[in-house]
Amino acid sequence: MGYNPDKPMDGRLSDLGPPHYEQFFPQVIRENKGKWLWHEILQAGVLMHKSETGAEVYTVRVGSARLISIEHVRELCDIADAHCDGHLRFTTRNNVEFMVDAKEKVQPLLDDLASRGNKFPVGGTGAGVTNIVHTQGWAHCHTPATDASGVVKAVMDELFEYFTSQVLPAQCRIALACCLNMCGAVHASDIAILGVHRKPPMIDHTRISGVCELPLAISSCPLGAVKPAKAVVNGKEIKTVKVNVERCMFCGNCYTMCPAMPLADPDGDGIAILVGGKVSNSRQAPKFSKLVIPFLPNNTPRWPEVVNAIKGILEAYAAGANKYERLGEWAERIGWEKFFEVCEIPFTDKSIDDYRLAYDSWRTTTQFKYTSHTASYTK
Amino acid sequence: MPTLEHNGSSFQVDEDGFLLTGMEEFNEDWIEYVSSVEGIEELTDEHRKVIDSLQEYYKKNGIAPMVRILSKTTGFPLKRIYELFPSGPGKGACKMAGLPKPTGCV
Ligand code: HEM
Ligand code: HEM
Ligand code: SF4
Ligand code: SF4
Repeated sequence: MGYNPDKPMDGRLSDLGPPHYEQFFPQVIRENKGKWLWHEILQAGVLMHKSETGAEVYTVRVGSARLISIEHVRELCDIADAHCDGHLRFTTRNNVEFMVDAKEKVQPLLDDLASRGNKFPVGGTGAGVTNIVHTQGWAHCHTPATDASGVVKAVMDELFEYFTSQVLPAQCRIALACCLNMCGAVHASDIAILGVHRKPPMIDHTRISGVCELPLAISSCPLGAVKPAKAVVNGKEIKTVKVNVERCMFCGNCYTMCPAMPLADPDGDGIAILVGGKVSNSRQAPKFSKLVIPFLPNNTPRWPEVVNAIKGILEAYAAGANKYERLGEWAERIGWEKFFEVCEIPFTDKSIDDYRLAYDSWRTTTQFKYTSHTASYTK
Repeated sequence: MPTLEHNGSSFQVDEDGFLLTGMEEFNEDWIEYVSSVEGIEELTDEHRKVIDSLQEYYKKNGIAPMVRILSKTTGFPLKRIYELFPSGPGKGACKMAGLPKPTGCV
Protein backbone atom coordinates (compact mmCIF):
# COMPACT_ATOMS: atom_id res chain seq x y z
CA MET A 1 0.00 0.00 0.00
CA GLY A 2 1.33 3.46 -0.89
CA TYR A 3 1.66 6.07 1.84
CA ASN A 4 -1.38 8.39 2.00
CA PRO A 5 -0.42 11.79 3.47
CA ASP A 6 -4.08 12.55 4.25
CA LYS A 7 -4.37 9.44 6.42
CA PRO A 8 -0.87 9.00 7.84
CA MET A 9 -1.88 6.36 10.40
CA ASP A 10 -3.64 4.06 7.89
CA GLY A 11 -1.80 0.79 7.32
CA ARG A 12 1.13 2.07 9.39
CA LEU A 13 3.55 -0.59 10.57
CA SER A 14 5.62 0.17 13.65
CA ASP A 15 7.66 -1.38 16.46
CA LEU A 16 8.84 -4.25 14.26
CA GLY A 17 12.46 -3.93 15.40
CA PRO A 18 15.39 -5.04 13.27
CA PRO A 19 15.16 -8.33 11.37
CA HIS A 20 16.61 -11.26 13.32
CA TYR A 21 20.32 -11.51 12.56
CA GLU A 22 20.22 -15.28 12.09
CA GLN A 23 18.30 -14.72 8.85
CA PHE A 24 21.53 -13.39 7.36
CA PHE A 25 24.00 -16.01 8.56
CA PRO A 26 26.13 -17.71 5.93
CA GLN A 27 25.48 -21.48 5.95
CA VAL A 28 28.79 -22.33 7.68
CA ILE A 29 28.15 -19.75 10.42
CA ARG A 30 24.60 -21.05 11.00
CA GLU A 31 25.79 -24.64 11.29
CA ASN A 32 28.68 -23.91 13.65
CA LYS A 33 27.24 -21.20 15.88
CA GLY A 34 28.53 -21.69 19.44
CA LYS A 35 30.94 -24.45 18.38
CA TRP A 36 34.08 -22.52 17.51
CA LEU A 37 37.32 -24.00 18.86
CA TRP A 38 40.11 -21.61 17.85
CA HIS A 39 41.11 -19.01 15.30
CA GLU A 40 44.25 -17.71 13.66
CA ILE A 41 45.25 -14.74 11.54
CA LEU A 42 46.66 -16.15 8.30
CA GLN A 43 47.88 -12.80 7.02
CA ALA A 44 46.90 -9.16 7.58
CA GLY A 45 43.17 -8.99 6.85
CA VAL A 46 42.56 -12.76 6.65
CA LEU A 47 41.26 -14.83 9.60
CA MET A 48 40.41 -18.52 9.94
CA HIS A 49 38.03 -19.97 12.52
CA LYS A 50 37.95 -23.72 13.21
CA SER A 51 34.81 -25.41 14.51
CA GLU A 52 34.48 -28.58 16.60
CA THR A 53 32.61 -30.07 13.60
CA GLY A 54 35.83 -29.68 11.58
CA ALA A 55 34.32 -26.88 9.50
CA GLU A 56 36.43 -23.82 8.73
CA VAL A 57 35.45 -20.29 7.87
CA TYR A 58 37.86 -17.85 6.26
CA THR A 59 37.16 -14.15 6.79
CA VAL A 60 38.61 -11.41 4.61
CA ARG A 61 38.37 -7.95 6.22
CA VAL A 62 38.44 -4.85 4.01
CA GLY A 63 38.53 -1.17 4.85
CA SER A 64 35.56 1.07 4.19
CA ALA A 65 35.03 4.82 4.22
CA ARG A 66 31.87 4.33 6.37
CA LEU A 67 30.17 7.14 4.42
CA ILE A 68 29.39 5.19 1.25
CA SER A 69 27.08 5.44 -1.73
CA ILE A 70 24.44 2.92 -2.69
CA GLU A 71 26.59 2.15 -5.77
CA HIS A 72 29.40 1.14 -3.44
CA VAL A 73 27.02 -1.03 -1.38
CA ARG A 74 25.89 -2.71 -4.60
CA GLU A 75 29.49 -3.42 -5.52
CA LEU A 76 29.98 -5.00 -2.07
CA CYS A 77 26.89 -7.12 -2.83
CA ASP A 78 28.32 -8.14 -6.23
CA ILE A 79 31.47 -9.37 -4.49
CA ALA A 80 29.43 -11.23 -1.88
CA ASP A 81 27.29 -12.80 -4.64
CA ALA A 82 30.36 -13.90 -6.59
CA HIS A 83 32.29 -15.44 -3.66
CA CYS A 84 30.19 -15.75 -0.51
CA ASP A 85 26.69 -16.94 -1.55
CA GLY A 86 25.43 -13.40 -1.10
CA HIS A 87 26.56 -12.97 2.52
CA LEU A 88 28.68 -10.28 4.16
CA ARG A 89 28.96 -8.35 7.42
CA PHE A 90 30.13 -4.99 8.78
CA THR A 91 32.33 -4.79 11.88
CA THR A 92 31.99 -2.51 14.91
CA ARG A 93 34.67 -0.32 13.34
CA ASN A 94 32.86 -0.18 10.01
CA ASN A 95 35.16 -2.52 8.13
CA VAL A 96 33.51 -5.06 5.82
CA GLU A 97 34.04 -8.81 6.19
CA PHE A 98 33.58 -11.40 3.45
CA MET A 99 33.41 -15.03 4.60
CA VAL A 100 34.11 -18.19 2.59
CA ASP A 101 33.93 -21.81 3.78
CA ALA A 102 37.05 -23.27 2.14
CA LYS A 103 40.67 -22.25 1.84
CA GLU A 104 40.64 -22.52 -2.00
CA LYS A 105 38.03 -19.78 -2.12
CA VAL A 106 40.25 -17.20 -0.37
CA GLN A 107 42.72 -16.39 -3.14
CA PRO A 108 40.07 -15.82 -5.86
CA LEU A 109 38.29 -13.45 -3.44
CA LEU A 110 41.54 -11.58 -2.68
CA ASP A 111 42.33 -11.35 -6.42
CA ASP A 112 38.86 -10.00 -7.17
CA LEU A 113 39.18 -7.37 -4.40
CA ALA A 114 42.63 -6.36 -5.65
CA SER A 115 41.33 -6.03 -9.22
CA ARG A 116 38.96 -3.24 -8.13
CA GLY A 117 41.66 -0.61 -7.55
CA ASN A 118 42.02 0.71 -4.03
CA LYS A 119 38.34 0.45 -3.15
CA PHE A 120 38.62 -2.61 -0.95
CA PRO A 121 41.98 -2.66 0.88
CA VAL A 122 42.48 -5.90 2.83
CA GLY A 123 43.69 -5.52 6.41
CA GLY A 124 42.63 -4.21 9.81
CA THR A 125 43.51 -7.34 11.81
CA GLY A 126 46.02 -7.98 14.60
CA ALA A 127 48.56 -5.47 15.87
CA GLY A 128 48.01 -2.74 13.30
CA VAL A 129 45.90 0.34 12.76
CA THR A 130 42.36 -0.59 11.81
CA ASN A 131 39.54 1.65 10.66
CA ILE A 132 39.01 5.03 12.36
CA VAL A 133 35.69 5.23 14.21
CA HIS A 134 34.34 8.65 13.25
CA THR A 135 31.38 10.98 13.13
CA GLN A 136 29.45 13.32 10.84
CA GLY A 137 31.60 16.45 10.62
CA TRP A 138 30.72 19.06 8.04
CA ALA A 139 28.84 16.41 6.05
CA HIS A 140 25.79 16.48 8.29
CA CYS A 141 26.03 17.78 11.89
CA HIS A 142 25.46 21.36 13.07
CA THR A 143 27.79 21.37 16.11
CA PRO A 144 31.18 20.25 14.67
CA ALA A 145 34.48 22.09 15.21
CA THR A 146 36.15 20.08 12.47
CA ASP A 147 35.34 17.64 9.69
CA ALA A 148 35.23 13.86 10.11
CA SER A 149 35.52 12.17 6.71
CA GLY A 150 38.22 14.56 5.45
CA VAL A 151 40.54 14.19 8.45
CA VAL A 152 40.02 10.42 8.54
CA LYS A 153 40.96 10.07 4.86
CA ALA A 154 44.11 12.18 5.34
CA VAL A 155 45.21 10.16 8.40
CA MET A 156 44.44 6.74 6.90
CA ASP A 157 46.35 7.63 3.72
CA GLU A 158 49.43 8.38 5.82
CA LEU A 159 49.02 5.29 8.04
CA PHE A 160 47.89 2.97 5.26
CA GLU A 161 50.90 0.64 5.65
CA TYR A 162 49.77 -0.03 9.25
CA PHE A 163 46.32 -1.08 8.03
CA THR A 164 47.73 -3.72 5.73
CA SER A 165 50.43 -5.01 8.14
CA GLN A 166 50.65 -6.18 11.76
CA VAL A 167 53.97 -4.72 12.90
CA LEU A 168 52.96 -2.69 15.98
CA PRO A 169 53.39 -3.81 19.61
CA ALA A 170 49.59 -4.10 19.93
CA GLN A 171 46.54 -2.89 18.06
CA CYS A 172 46.24 0.90 17.90
CA ARG A 173 42.68 2.24 17.84
CA ILE A 174 42.26 5.69 16.34
CA ALA A 175 38.95 7.53 16.66
CA LEU A 176 37.68 10.96 15.65
CA ALA A 177 34.82 13.08 16.96
CA CYS A 178 34.15 16.50 15.45
CA CYS A 179 33.01 18.05 18.75
CA LEU A 180 33.31 17.10 22.40
CA ASN A 181 29.93 15.42 22.46
CA MET A 182 32.36 12.67 21.50
CA CYS A 183 29.89 10.57 19.53
CA GLY A 184 31.73 7.31 19.23
CA ALA A 185 34.99 6.31 20.83
CA VAL A 186 37.42 9.22 21.23
CA HIS A 187 37.15 9.12 25.00
CA ALA A 188 38.66 5.62 25.13
CA SER A 189 40.95 5.17 22.12
CA ASP A 190 44.72 4.79 21.77
CA ILE A 191 44.82 7.95 19.65
CA ALA A 192 41.87 10.32 19.54
CA ILE A 193 41.27 13.26 17.21
CA LEU A 194 38.81 15.74 18.69
CA GLY A 195 37.27 18.90 17.22
CA VAL A 196 37.54 21.87 19.64
CA HIS A 197 36.42 25.50 19.69
CA ARG A 198 38.44 28.38 21.18
CA LYS A 199 35.91 31.20 21.17
CA PRO A 200 32.79 31.76 23.30
CA PRO A 201 29.29 31.68 21.79
CA MET A 202 27.74 34.72 20.11
CA ILE A 203 24.23 35.53 21.28
CA ASP A 204 21.54 36.43 18.77
CA HIS A 205 19.10 38.43 20.91
CA THR A 206 16.68 38.93 18.00
CA ARG A 207 16.01 35.20 17.66
CA ILE A 208 16.55 33.90 21.16
CA SER A 209 13.02 34.42 22.55
CA GLY A 210 11.40 32.38 19.80
CA VAL A 211 13.83 29.52 19.45
CA CYS A 212 15.31 28.89 22.93
CA GLU A 213 14.10 27.57 26.22
CA LEU A 214 16.38 29.85 28.26
CA PRO A 215 16.57 27.72 31.44
CA LEU A 216 17.88 24.84 29.31
CA ALA A 217 20.66 27.01 27.87
CA ILE A 218 21.57 28.12 31.39
CA SER A 219 21.63 24.61 32.83
CA SER A 220 23.52 23.19 29.84
CA CYS A 221 26.73 24.98 30.88
CA PRO A 222 29.14 22.82 32.88
CA LEU A 223 30.81 25.95 34.30
CA GLY A 224 27.80 28.11 35.15
CA ALA A 225 28.95 30.68 32.59
CA VAL A 226 25.47 31.25 31.13
CA LYS A 227 23.26 33.57 33.17
CA PRO A 228 19.80 35.08 32.63
CA ALA A 229 19.87 38.64 31.25
CA LYS A 230 17.71 41.31 29.65
CA ALA A 231 18.22 42.93 26.26
CA VAL A 232 16.33 45.49 24.20
CA VAL A 233 15.19 44.28 20.77
CA ASN A 234 13.23 46.70 18.55
CA GLY A 235 12.65 48.96 21.54
CA LYS A 236 11.21 46.12 23.60
CA GLU A 237 12.84 44.55 26.64
CA ILE A 238 13.21 40.79 26.25
CA LYS A 239 14.54 37.96 28.38
CA THR A 240 17.81 36.53 27.12
CA VAL A 241 21.13 35.20 28.45
CA LYS A 242 24.66 36.51 28.83
CA VAL A 243 27.89 34.52 28.84
CA ASN A 244 30.70 35.17 31.29
CA VAL A 245 33.51 34.87 28.76
CA GLU A 246 36.14 34.37 31.49
CA ARG A 247 34.35 31.21 32.63
CA CYS A 248 33.52 29.77 29.20
CA MET A 249 35.71 26.93 27.91
CA PHE A 250 33.98 26.71 24.53
CA CYS A 251 32.33 23.32 24.91
CA GLY A 252 29.36 24.32 22.74
CA ASN A 253 26.76 22.64 24.96
CA CYS A 254 24.73 25.84 25.14
CA TYR A 255 24.54 25.93 21.33
CA THR A 256 23.34 22.31 21.26
CA MET A 257 20.44 23.44 23.45
CA CYS A 258 19.95 26.95 22.03
CA PRO A 259 20.24 27.68 18.29
CA ALA A 260 20.73 31.41 19.00
CA MET A 261 24.16 30.78 20.62
CA PRO A 262 26.46 29.67 17.74
CA LEU A 263 30.23 29.48 18.37
CA ALA A 264 31.81 27.84 15.31
CA ASP A 265 34.67 29.97 13.99
CA PRO A 266 37.08 29.21 11.14
CA ASP A 267 40.20 30.46 12.99
CA GLY A 268 39.16 29.50 16.49
CA ASP A 269 38.18 25.94 15.65
CA GLY A 270 40.59 23.07 15.23
CA ILE A 271 41.71 19.73 16.57
CA ALA A 272 43.02 18.44 19.91
CA ILE A 273 44.84 15.11 20.17
CA LEU A 274 44.22 12.72 23.08
CA VAL A 275 46.01 9.42 23.63
CA GLY A 276 46.19 6.37 25.84
CA GLY A 277 42.60 5.15 26.10
CA LYS A 278 41.43 1.56 25.72
CA VAL A 279 38.25 -0.39 26.29
CA SER A 280 39.42 -3.96 26.81
CA ASN A 281 40.16 -5.43 30.23
CA SER A 282 43.16 -7.41 29.05
CA ARG A 283 46.24 -6.88 31.27
CA GLN A 284 45.06 -3.49 32.56
CA ALA A 285 41.64 -1.99 33.19
CA PRO A 286 40.02 0.22 30.53
CA LYS A 287 41.40 3.75 30.38
CA PHE A 288 40.20 7.14 29.23
CA SER A 289 42.33 8.95 26.66
CA LYS A 290 44.20 12.06 27.88
CA LEU A 291 44.84 15.39 26.19
CA VAL A 292 48.41 15.75 24.90
CA ILE A 293 48.11 18.30 22.09
CA PRO A 294 45.59 21.07 22.86
CA PHE A 295 45.25 22.59 19.41
CA LEU A 296 46.12 22.03 15.76
CA PRO A 297 44.53 24.11 12.98
CA ASN A 298 41.83 22.98 10.58
CA ASN A 299 44.14 23.07 7.59
CA THR A 300 41.85 21.68 4.86
CA PRO A 301 41.78 19.50 2.86
CA ARG A 302 44.68 17.37 4.18
CA TRP A 303 45.23 18.53 7.82
CA PRO A 304 49.04 18.11 7.55
CA GLU A 305 49.72 19.19 11.18
CA VAL A 306 47.25 16.62 12.51
CA VAL A 307 48.55 13.85 10.26
CA ASN A 308 52.19 14.57 11.28
CA ALA A 309 51.35 14.66 14.96
CA ILE A 310 49.59 11.30 14.82
CA LYS A 311 52.32 9.70 12.76
CA GLY A 312 54.93 10.97 15.23
CA ILE A 313 53.09 9.53 18.22
CA LEU A 314 52.47 6.20 16.49
CA GLU A 315 56.12 5.83 15.47
CA ALA A 316 57.43 6.71 18.93
CA TYR A 317 55.04 4.15 20.42
CA ALA A 318 56.00 1.49 17.87
CA ALA A 319 59.68 2.05 18.68
CA GLY A 320 59.30 2.18 22.46
CA ALA A 321 56.55 -0.17 23.58
CA ASN A 322 56.83 -3.82 24.56
CA LYS A 323 54.93 -6.57 22.81
CA TYR A 324 51.19 -6.53 23.70
CA GLU A 325 51.52 -3.11 25.32
CA ARG A 326 48.77 -0.65 24.30
CA LEU A 327 49.72 2.99 23.85
CA GLY A 328 48.25 4.02 27.21
CA GLU A 329 49.98 1.17 29.04
CA TRP A 330 53.29 2.22 27.48
CA ALA A 331 52.83 5.90 28.39
CA GLU A 332 51.98 4.99 32.00
CA ARG A 333 54.94 2.59 32.29
CA ILE A 334 57.52 5.09 31.06
CA GLY A 335 55.74 8.02 32.78
CA TRP A 336 53.80 10.75 31.00
CA GLU A 337 56.77 13.13 31.31
CA LYS A 338 58.79 10.65 29.26
CA PHE A 339 55.93 10.24 26.82
CA PHE A 340 56.02 13.97 26.05
CA GLU A 341 59.80 13.83 25.69
CA VAL A 342 60.04 10.83 23.36
CA CYS A 343 57.13 12.05 21.24
CA GLU A 344 58.71 15.53 21.13
CA ILE A 345 55.42 17.13 22.10
CA PRO A 346 55.65 20.45 23.96
CA PHE A 347 53.83 20.19 27.30
CA THR A 348 51.33 23.01 27.89
CA ASP A 349 49.15 24.08 30.79
CA LYS A 350 46.17 22.91 28.72
CA SER A 351 47.07 19.33 29.66
CA ILE A 352 46.74 20.09 33.38
CA ASP A 353 43.25 19.16 34.53
CA ASP A 354 41.34 22.03 36.19
CA TYR A 355 37.81 20.63 36.22
CA ARG A 356 36.19 19.63 39.55
CA LEU A 357 38.02 16.34 40.26
CA ALA A 358 41.28 17.69 38.86
CA TYR A 359 43.27 17.22 42.08
CA ASP A 360 43.59 13.46 41.62
CA SER A 361 45.33 13.94 38.29
CA TRP A 362 48.20 16.01 39.74
CA ARG A 363 51.44 14.44 40.98
CA THR A 364 51.39 13.74 44.72
CA THR A 365 54.76 12.03 44.85
CA THR A 366 58.40 12.92 44.45
CA GLN A 367 58.73 10.11 41.91
CA PHE A 368 59.40 11.57 38.49
CA LYS A 369 62.07 11.56 35.82
CA TYR A 370 64.08 14.56 34.65
CA THR A 371 63.32 15.22 30.99
CA SER A 372 64.14 17.78 28.35
CA HIS A 373 61.01 19.61 29.54
CA THR A 374 62.18 19.87 33.17
CA ALA A 375 65.57 20.95 31.89
CA SER A 376 64.01 23.84 30.04
CA TYR A 377 62.15 25.05 33.18
CA THR A 378 65.23 24.92 35.40
CA LYS A 379 67.64 26.47 32.92
CA MET B 1 12.39 33.65 7.14
CA PRO B 2 9.58 31.74 5.38
CA THR B 3 6.05 33.01 5.96
CA LEU B 4 3.09 30.68 5.94
CA GLU B 5 -0.53 31.71 5.23
CA HIS B 6 -3.53 29.84 6.62
CA ASN B 7 -7.16 31.08 6.69
CA GLY B 8 -5.90 34.64 6.36
CA SER B 9 -3.45 34.46 9.27
CA SER B 10 0.25 34.56 8.47
CA PHE B 11 2.96 32.88 10.50
CA GLN B 12 6.75 33.04 10.48
CA VAL B 13 8.05 29.48 10.56
CA ASP B 14 11.34 27.61 10.35
CA GLU B 15 12.19 24.76 7.97
CA ASP B 16 10.46 22.24 10.25
CA GLY B 17 7.30 24.34 10.48
CA PHE B 18 7.75 25.54 14.07
CA LEU B 19 6.64 29.09 14.90
CA LEU B 20 9.78 31.26 14.95
CA THR B 21 8.37 33.74 17.43
CA GLY B 22 6.65 31.12 19.54
CA MET B 23 3.35 31.84 21.23
CA GLU B 24 3.30 35.47 20.06
CA GLU B 25 1.79 34.40 16.74
CA PHE B 26 -0.17 31.44 18.10
CA ASN B 27 -3.93 31.44 17.39
CA GLU B 28 -6.81 29.14 16.37
CA ASP B 29 -5.74 29.23 12.71
CA TRP B 30 -2.36 27.86 13.75
CA ILE B 31 -4.01 24.96 15.60
CA GLU B 32 -6.06 24.19 12.53
CA TYR B 33 -3.07 24.44 10.23
CA VAL B 34 -0.93 22.10 12.35
CA SER B 35 -3.82 19.62 12.65
CA SER B 36 -3.99 19.50 8.86
CA VAL B 37 -0.30 18.67 8.45
CA GLU B 38 -0.02 16.36 11.47
CA GLY B 39 -2.82 14.03 10.38
CA ILE B 40 -5.21 15.07 13.16
CA GLU B 41 -8.74 14.75 11.79
CA GLU B 42 -10.77 16.07 14.68
CA LEU B 43 -9.51 18.34 17.41
CA THR B 44 -10.90 17.11 20.73
CA ASP B 45 -10.91 18.39 24.30
CA GLU B 46 -8.07 16.01 24.95
CA HIS B 47 -5.94 17.80 22.33
CA ARG B 48 -6.87 21.11 23.97
CA LYS B 49 -5.87 19.80 27.35
CA VAL B 50 -2.38 18.88 26.10
CA ILE B 51 -1.92 22.25 24.38
CA ASP B 52 -3.15 24.24 27.40
CA SER B 53 -0.97 22.22 29.70
CA LEU B 54 2.13 22.81 27.54
CA GLN B 55 1.47 26.54 27.24
CA GLU B 56 0.77 26.99 30.91
CA TYR B 57 3.97 25.18 31.86
CA TYR B 58 6.02 27.11 29.31
CA LYS B 59 4.70 30.51 30.44
CA LYS B 60 5.50 29.66 34.04
CA ASN B 61 8.87 27.94 33.61
CA GLY B 62 10.34 29.06 30.27
CA ILE B 63 10.81 25.44 29.17
CA ALA B 64 8.67 22.66 27.77
CA PRO B 65 7.75 20.08 30.42
CA MET B 66 9.53 16.75 30.50
CA VAL B 67 7.39 14.00 29.03
CA ARG B 68 6.72 12.49 32.47
CA ILE B 69 5.46 15.84 33.74
CA LEU B 70 3.18 16.28 30.72
CA SER B 71 1.72 12.84 31.39
CA LYS B 72 1.21 13.71 35.04
CA THR B 73 -0.44 17.12 34.49
CA THR B 74 -2.74 15.90 31.70
CA GLY B 75 -3.33 12.44 33.12
CA PHE B 76 -2.59 10.95 29.67
CA PRO B 77 -0.04 8.15 29.44
CA LEU B 78 2.56 8.57 26.66
CA LYS B 79 0.66 6.07 24.52
CA ARG B 80 -2.45 8.30 24.59
CA ILE B 81 -0.38 11.40 23.75
CA TYR B 82 0.89 9.57 20.66
CA GLU B 83 -2.67 8.63 19.73
CA LEU B 84 -3.65 12.30 19.95
CA PHE B 85 -0.49 13.61 18.29
CA PRO B 86 0.95 10.94 15.96
CA SER B 87 4.29 12.81 15.65
CA GLY B 88 4.62 12.75 19.43
CA PRO B 89 4.74 15.35 22.22
CA GLY B 90 7.67 17.28 20.68
CA LYS B 91 7.13 17.42 16.93
CA GLY B 92 3.34 17.30 17.25
CA ALA B 93 2.03 18.84 20.46
CA CYS B 94 4.79 21.43 21.09
CA LYS B 95 4.60 22.57 17.48
CA MET B 96 0.83 23.04 17.75
CA ALA B 97 1.14 24.83 21.09
CA GLY B 98 3.66 27.31 19.66
CA LEU B 99 6.56 26.23 21.87
CA PRO B 100 10.14 26.47 20.55
CA LYS B 101 11.42 23.52 18.53
CA PRO B 102 12.95 20.85 20.78
CA THR B 103 16.76 21.01 20.77
CA GLY B 104 19.61 18.71 21.78
CA CYS B 105 20.42 15.36 20.20
CA VAL B 106 16.86 14.62 19.18
C1 HEM C 1 24.40 17.75 18.59
C2 HEM C 1 24.13 16.53 18.97
C3 HEM C 1 23.95 15.39 18.03
C4 HEM C 1 23.41 15.37 16.79
C5 HEM C 1 22.82 16.52 16.00
C6 HEM C 1 23.50 14.02 16.31
C7 HEM C 1 23.05 13.62 15.08
C8 HEM C 1 23.22 12.36 14.57
C9 HEM C 1 22.81 11.95 13.26
C10 HEM C 1 22.10 12.83 12.25
C11 HEM C 1 23.17 10.65 13.12
C12 HEM C 1 22.98 9.80 11.90
C13 HEM C 1 21.72 9.06 12.01
C14 HEM C 1 21.50 8.19 10.79
O1 HEM C 1 22.49 7.78 10.16
O2 HEM C 1 20.34 7.92 10.50
C15 HEM C 1 23.79 10.24 14.33
C16 HEM C 1 24.29 8.99 14.55
C17 HEM C 1 24.83 8.59 15.74
N1 HEM C 1 24.99 9.34 16.87
FE1 HEM C 1 24.51 11.27 17.09
N2 HEM C 1 24.07 13.23 17.24
C18 HEM C 1 24.38 14.02 18.32
C19 HEM C 1 24.94 13.63 19.51
C20 HEM C 1 25.28 12.35 19.81
C21 HEM C 1 25.86 11.91 21.07
C22 HEM C 1 26.12 12.82 22.27
C23 HEM C 1 26.10 10.59 20.95
C24 HEM C 1 26.68 9.61 21.92
C25 HEM C 1 27.28 9.91 23.06
C26 HEM C 1 25.70 10.20 19.63
C27 HEM C 1 25.82 8.92 19.13
C28 HEM C 1 25.53 8.56 17.85
C29 HEM C 1 25.75 7.23 17.33
C30 HEM C 1 26.35 6.04 18.09
C31 HEM C 1 25.31 7.24 16.00
C32 HEM C 1 25.32 6.10 15.04
C33 HEM C 1 26.57 6.09 14.22
C34 HEM C 1 26.57 4.94 13.23
O3 HEM C 1 25.99 3.90 13.51
O4 HEM C 1 27.19 5.11 12.18
N3 HEM C 1 25.20 11.28 18.97
N4 HEM C 1 23.82 11.30 15.21
C1 HEM D 1 33.53 4.31 31.81
C2 HEM D 1 32.87 4.73 30.76
C3 HEM D 1 33.18 4.39 29.34
C4 HEM D 1 34.21 3.68 28.81
C5 HEM D 1 35.39 3.05 29.51
C6 HEM D 1 34.00 3.65 27.39
C7 HEM D 1 34.86 3.05 26.50
C8 HEM D 1 34.66 2.99 25.14
C9 HEM D 1 35.61 2.50 24.18
C10 HEM D 1 37.02 2.03 24.50
C11 HEM D 1 35.07 2.53 22.98
C12 HEM D 1 35.71 2.12 21.67
C13 HEM D 1 35.45 0.72 21.28
C14 HEM D 1 36.32 0.36 20.09
O1 HEM D 1 37.46 0.88 19.96
O2 HEM D 1 35.91 -0.49 19.30
C15 HEM D 1 33.77 3.08 23.14
C16 HEM D 1 32.90 3.27 22.14
C17 HEM D 1 31.73 3.99 22.26
N1 HEM D 1 31.28 4.63 23.39
FE1 HEM D 1 32.07 4.50 25.22
N2 HEM D 1 32.87 4.31 27.09
C18 HEM D 1 32.33 4.79 28.25
C19 HEM D 1 31.20 5.54 28.39
C20 HEM D 1 30.38 5.92 27.33
C21 HEM D 1 29.22 6.75 27.45
C22 HEM D 1 28.72 7.37 28.74
C23 HEM D 1 28.68 6.85 26.19
C24 HEM D 1 27.46 7.57 25.70
C25 HEM D 1 26.79 8.48 26.37
C26 HEM D 1 29.51 6.08 25.30
C27 HEM D 1 29.28 5.92 23.95
C28 HEM D 1 30.07 5.18 23.11
C29 HEM D 1 29.74 4.91 21.73
C30 HEM D 1 28.48 5.36 21.00
C31 HEM D 1 30.79 4.14 21.20
C32 HEM D 1 30.91 3.61 19.80
C33 HEM D 1 30.39 2.21 19.74
C34 HEM D 1 30.66 1.54 18.39
O3 HEM D 1 31.78 1.69 17.85
O4 HEM D 1 29.75 0.87 17.88
N3 HEM D 1 30.53 5.54 26.02
N4 HEM D 1 33.55 3.36 24.46
S1 SF4 E 1 30.89 14.58 17.59
FE1 SF4 E 1 29.70 16.49 17.79
S2 SF4 E 1 29.83 17.48 15.81
FE2 SF4 E 1 30.46 15.34 15.54
S3 SF4 E 1 28.60 14.23 14.92
FE3 SF4 E 1 28.73 14.11 17.16
S4 SF4 E 1 27.55 15.86 17.91
FE4 SF4 E 1 27.97 16.23 15.76
S1 SF4 F 1 30.30 27.09 25.30
FE1 SF4 F 1 30.16 25.67 27.07
S2 SF4 F 1 31.34 26.68 28.70
FE2 SF4 F 1 30.89 28.24 27.15
S3 SF4 F 1 29.00 29.20 27.83
FE3 SF4 F 1 28.40 27.59 26.39
S4 SF4 F 1 28.01 25.81 27.70
FE4 SF4 F 1 29.18 27.27 28.96
